[in-house]
Order: sequence, then structure tokens, then C-alpha cells
Amino acid sequence: MNLINYGEKFFDELEIAKYKRKEVSVEVELNQISMSSTGDRAVTVIRGIKDKKLGIFIVDSDDEGEIKKGIEQAAKNAMANEKDEKWEGLPGEQKYNAPNIEINYEIKNASPDFFVNLLNEAIKDVRARDERAMVAGGAAGSSWLEMRISNSHGIDIMQEFGSTFMYLYVAGRAGNSVTPGIMDFDVRRDMQLDKDFVVSSILEKLKYAYNTKKSDKNVGNVVMEPLALAELLYFTLIPAISGERKVKNTTPLSDKVGQKVLDEKITIYDDPWHPMSTNPIIADDEGVAARVNKIFENGVFNGFLWDNYWGNISGEGSTGNGTRNLSTGGIGIGVHNLVIEGGKKSKEELIGNIEDGFLVSGFQGAHSSNPDTGDFSVVANPAFKIENGKIVGSTVFMLSGNVYSLLGNVADISREQRKIVVMGNGVVPHMLFENLKIAPVSR
Amino acid sequence: MELDGIIDWANKNIKAEYVEIRGEELSKLNIELKDGTFSTFTSLKSSGFGIRVLAEGAWGFSSTTKIEELKDAIEKAYKMAKAASRGRYEKIKLADIKIVEDEVKSKMKIKPEEVDVQEKVKRMKELEKELKKDKNVKSTRITYQDTSGTKVLYTSERTKIVWDMGYVWQYIWATGKNERGMAAARDEIGSVDMGWELFQEENTNKVSKRVLKKLNAQLNGVSPKRGEYPVVAGPIIVGIIAHEALGHLAEADLTINSPFRDLIGKQIAPEFVNMSDRIVENGFGNNVYDDEGTKIKDVHIIKNGILTEIMLNREYAARWGMEPNGHARAENYTVPPIIRMRNTVFERGDHSFEELVEGIKFGYYLVDFRGGQAELNSSFQVGVQEGYIIRNGELAESIKDTSISGIAIDALKQISAVGKDFGIEMGRCGKGQTAFVSSGGPHMRFDKGIVVGGQQ
Repeated sequence: MNLINYGEKFFDELEIAKYKRKEVSVEVELNQISMSSTGDRAVTVIRGIKDKKLGIFIVDSDDEGEIKKGIEQAAKNAMANEKDEKWEGLPGEQKYNAPNIEINYEIKNASPDFFVNLLNEAIKDVRARDERAMVAGGAAGSSWLEMRISNSHGIDIMQEFGSTFMYLYVAGRAGNSVTPGIMDFDVRRDMQLDKDFVVSSILEKLKYAYNTKKSDKNVGNVVMEPLALAELLYFTLIPAISGERKVKNTTPLSDKVGQKVLDEKITIYDDPWHPMSTNPIIADDEGVAARVNKIFENGVFNGFLWDNYWGNISGEGSTGNGTRNLSTGGIGIGVHNLVIEGGKKSKEELIGNIEDGFLVSGFQGAHSSNPDTGDFSVVANPAFKIENGKIVGSTVFMLSGNVYSLLGNVADISREQRKIVVMGNGVVPHMLFENLKIAPVSR
Repeated sequence: MELDGIIDWANKNIKAEYVEIRGEELSKLNIELKDGTFSTFTSLKSSGFGIRVLAEGAWGFSSTTKIEELKDAIEKAYKMAKAASRGRYEKIKLADIKIVEDEVKSKMKIKPEEVDVQEKVKRMKELEKELKKDKNVKSTRITYQDTSGTKVLYTSERTKIVWDMGYVWQYIWATGKNERGMAAARDEIGSVDMGWELFQEENTNKVSKRVLKKLNAQLNGVSPKRGEYPVVAGPIIVGIIAHEALGHLAEADLTINSPFRDLIGKQIAPEFVNMSDRIVENGFGNNVYDDEGTKIKDVHIIKNGILTEIMLNREYAARWGMEPNGHARAENYTVPPIIRMRNTVFERGDHSFEELVEGIKFGYYLVDFRGGQAELNSSFQVGVQEGYIIRNGELAESIKDTSISGIAIDALKQISAVGKDFGIEMGRCGKGQTAFVSSGGPHMRFDKGIVVGGQQ
């Protein structure tokens, strides 16, 4: 019997979401491969509603018998829950408009040997080019996802895609001092991981990291690299564009739709189909058709992102941004692939025009920012001192502020963009900010 | 379980130095109450096996949800280990441990599965109601989670441990707004040793008061002056410094790349400073054995100011020529164990709180945190969600949205006094995997070494 039909005996509405993930990963510790692992895991989430009461069950299986038992347990949970008068219904049938995105099936059966060889060569390169460098950590591997979302309103969408990744985390030791760890990575929708780029990018920065420069400045021009910028935005700006917060009036953007909120140089959209995206979904985790959503256009706030529940409550409808937490089975509002449009100058030009300033590769503590206000207080590390357009050494400093003030006054944006997969998927350029207040931390 | 037979089969058929099967069969409940609606009402059944094989001097790992596929999973892990061995020039060895057969009983008085779900729902609603009595509270999210079940560890060395395991956990995020702006407060409690009785101690009145104090301190707070000032840190802040700034550097897999590597046996703090990772009363990281079957021992990281011991698993104990001390932990059966902290604390001194703030013309008293992070160069950051200015030895106005930072090995030398009180906080640590941990200590004074971030 069809599982949805079976579930309809217990629920008014029902959704069954199956996720099958196949992963291979090879890890590095201390200049050597430390472990090779494989995982092949199926998780099924049953979300049912009876008399406007929600019940969810999660099981580590895609076995029909287990799912049937799960449906019965989810029904018990719904009975224990309270009526949600705001509940309107699961999404109905969709028209899917995703472009034809090529899927690389080689990833599905990637061998650990491929990643062992790649990492061995990378470690060898790092050690040959800098004998003080230690590959403290790193990994390479593949991830293949098959997901099928079905519900009792006619949604039944199956999608599959995979990606490969590689990162290295390298520190240098000179005498008793250790440089900050320098990390770089590549992530792709094929097997063509760019080991040479990762190694070269890390060693270029490590070269400056040996020379610690204390800054006594309290104000400085700062170039944020894509990863640093993404870390900050994922914990300050991104929560604010959730439609749930709009309904609850807990976002500074509540009454700002159509208004200029950020610098006019900034255009941000959510585009799962961007050529650099590693998350090319057809539908979100509720089966709603994915789409490109413009969030900020030339600094003007275009509107919030919605899942089905909050989209129904607001009357705006889902924007295809329902994302599932596989630990709880619940749906939240999330970004699939955050794209910040590039500018005109190269990143070298942004750095080259700075007389006295900083380049930030990463922030410590972005997760301790306040998502309700956009306030942040973070430590720039790894960070580098720039003098007369050249990087001269590494430094550590604190940067405190508010994301809306920060992005309200952007001096320039690089034309190059990087893929980001830390915290969330994104395509992000370098950004230059002038006269930021800082507090030095370096010895 | 039929695991004895599987281990016999592996010992006979797999040419490995070591085979480990870690199995779990857990039931979980996760309920989230967001502004009057139970937006998540989930139960979860998680069962499966994590297989780790050491072969040809390298590790291989695989997992499966089906006991009938265990032999295949062991063979897969073996193949993975052989693939990894091609990237090693040193063979991984394991330090010896005492092989045990044991059953670890739960210390919980009231197991969460014995409590009706409606009582859990009722408590969450009461908590929300008490929080929303404050007119400044605009939004709340209360998450409750409990887990119970069995974990087993069987190894080719004949370790056999069965745990009756479980935990309870509660997380609150409250958003407030007043005429001065918006603010948010986080609160987290949990236990592996206490069951539902935890919430009799941490009743709704006590928890809501604590959350509202943190929230209103920020709503009414001023932006701090950024820079390096004397800091008196309360037990929760002292704990997160112990965890982030020092604890991570004392995890052997990170020590080897950190400034701590060359400092073992050396004076790194004043002699009245002591710091440990140890079993504490109701510590969230408490256990009897780790996930390699090693009996857990107290680790005296800093003893009389000297960096003395570090946290080890069997692999790193062999590498350092030390004895394993029980710090290999895995989040669940889908991942291998890695070196983790448990309960990281500074030990008591002999000063009163009044003595600690005495003589500070301008400084900060820091009480509670929201997130923290450390780097290999011992740079640390801790977000502060409750703090006050100290002016002329007295507590003055509260501060909002800031964090502190420093270079841990420098800040340690600037500790000038240690309080005689003691407190711990329960939380989670993310090092690729999530682990329940506690951290804490007494109040402590840092004369220098801590930079306060601020928009002023």
C-alpha cells in the first residue's frame, strides 16, 4: 500500500520526507592521512497533522515497515500536541521550474583512493614548499544526496545531486610561536577539485602569518575575504530576512520592505541554480518549487523569505525556503545559496589601494552575534596587516558593530566571488569597509 | 545482542590490529514551543552501529543501521583503513588500557520516559507564561529534549561495556524590546546524571528569573568602551575561558599544533591557579568510561600554575608516551570518537567577591556568555550576554552586546586573584561533532590580558 494512503488513516494531512545520503571522507591529521570513512544512511521524517495538531517522527531507515510504525508514532505525538489554530495546510501540487542542471553521477560512487591520493599530493606540496608548515587538519570527500518529498496534497518530488570537497588547515611553527591556522578549501559539483589552488592560497597567507604585527590603531580600513564576510552575515543579516521574524516583529527589517537599507553597491539574492551553487535543488524540504529570490537590490530590501507555514499566515505564500532540521524534523526558513553580486575591481586592487589597513580571512565568534539586532563583537583571526598596498604580517583584532551600519557604508566590492559552504551555501565576493573601529588583541 | 559472535568472526577473518563496534538504540523526544505554538513535536528512533577498524596502521570507519549488515560494515571499514594506510608514514598504535566487561547504570532518579509527555508540555507552557509576564519579552523559543536507551561497546580486545544512557536538556532563547532597542538572552541546562528531577531543582520560576535578568541587563545596558581593562569574571565566564581558551589547547590532537606543546611541565600561570577536566557533581560531561572503553580519570591540566596534563585518547596517549585518560567521545554511532573535553573547571582559591572587585577604578564584571571560539594560536573570543561596569570597586550599569578576547597564554599570567566560590554551566561543544560539556570555576580577577569589544 502507498505509504501516504496508509498515513491518511491517521492524519488529515501527511508528509513523508526520505533522505538518503552516501558519503566518503578521508581525513588528515598532522601531515598524514588519519582515517578514511564511509557512510550510507537513510533517514525518514513523517510529519502529520490531525485536527490542526502536529506530530513528527524520525527514523534511521527507509524500510516500509519502519515507516508505517513511524506514522503510527507520529499520530500519537499529534494527539499529545495542542491545536495550532494558525495551521492552514501542507503545500499543494507544484510546477517545478528548475533549469536543467547537469548531475555528475561519478560522485555517487567516488572511491576513497581518489581522495587519499589527492590529499597525499597536497600534503607533499605544502611540506615541500614550506618546511615550517604543518598540515594540522584537513579532509576531502564526496557527498551524494537523494531526497524524496511526498505529501497527501499531491506533491511527490524526487531529487538527487552530489558534491565533492577538499580543505586543508595549515599552521606554521617558528621557534616557540605558532601562526594562526590558515584554512582554504574547494567544493565542486564534479570530481575536479583544485588541489593546487588550495595549497597555493594557504601558503601565500602562511608566508605573512609568521610575522606578527601588533597594531596600535583604533580605526582602520578593512577588506573582508568571502569566508569572513559570510560568517558574519550568516549570524546577523540572514536571520533578519526570515518571514517568521517579520510576523513576530522581531527583525529590524520589519517595516523596511521597499526601503534602502544597505549600501547601493549591494545586491543579494538566494539562487540555488547559480553556476557556482553546490545545492541545486528543484524543490525545498516541503516540496515547494525552488526559485531565485532577490533579497536586496542595490541596497533596497525586496522582501522576506517564507516557508509554507509562515507564508500562509502572512498571506505572502512560500518562497520555496522551507528547510528541514534533520535532528528535530521541524521546518524552518533558510537560504539555499546566498549570492552577493560582485563589483568591478579585482581583490588585488582593493588591497593595493590601502595605505594602512587590514585583510580579514576569518572571524572568531561570529556565532555569538545577536541575530535579533545585527550587533556583533568578533575577533578577526586570521587577519593580516596591510601597509602601502601590501600584506606585511599577521595580526589579531576585535571588531564590534552592527551589520546594518557596516553594510550601509561599503567602500567597494571585488569582482571575484568564492563558493562558500561553511554554515550555509553561498557565492560571496571580497568587501572593503573604511574607518571601522577596532581594538587590537595581538601581543 | 549477537555481538560476541561478530567479534569472533572479525578476529578470525579481518587482518586488523583492532576492531571496535559501538552500537546504540535510543529513543528521543524533542519538543519546541515558539510563542504559544508547539512547532516541533517529535519523537525519534535512532539505532545503528559505528565500526572502527585499525589496519596497517591506519583507521577506517563505517556505519550501518542493520545488525545483519554488521559483517559487511566491518569489511567496509577494513577496506577504508587499508586505503588510508597509503597516506601514512607512521603506523598508528594504541596505548594499552585495562580491558573491562561492565554495565554502567544510569544515576537518574526519575527517568524522562517515566514522565508523561503532558507534564513536559505543561512545564514548557508555564515557563513561557512566566517569561512573557515581563512586558519587554516579545518572543520566546523553548526547546526540550530527552533521550534514553542503550549504548554498547564491543572490541576485538574483548572490551564489553553496556551503558544505560540518557539525558535531559532545555534551551531557551528570549527576544526583548524596550524604548532603547532589542536584545536577546540564551539559557541552557541539561544533565546526564539527573533525570526529570533536574527540573524540580531548576523550576520555572528560577529559570525565568535568570533569563529575564540577562535580557533586561542588556536592554537597559550601555555599549562598553572597547579596550583592555581589569576584568572580574564570574563562574560561567571563567568556565568558558577554561573551555575555549585553554581546554581546547589541552586536547592532545590540538596540543600538538598549539603553543601548549612546548609548555608542558612549565609555569604558565601564577602558582595559585589550578585548572582541571574532571568529574564534577552533575557535570554534563560525566561518564564512567569513554567511547574506547577507557576508565575516565581526572586530568590536572594546570597544577599550581604549571601545565601538567593533557586530555588523551588511546592513539595520542601512545604517541605522547602517556596513559589514556578517557577523553575519546563520539556524538553518536554515525561518527568515530575524537578527543573531547568533559567538565573543564578552574579550581577554588581563597578570595571573596568583594576582595576581587576592590581597587578597580574602571573595569568589567562579566557574568554570562553567548558562544565562544578558540584558535590554535591561543586567541580566544567569548560573546558576553550579561556584564556590568565596575567603577571605583562597585558594580555600576549593565553592558550590552559585547565580547571579550585575548591570547590565552598571555591572559593566564594576568590572573591576580581566585575566588573561593564555585559554579558550573551546562552546554554543548562543537568540534565537528556536538558533545555535552560543563565548564565553570570560581570568580577570578584578570588585571590585564582581556580585551573588551565595544562600539564606543
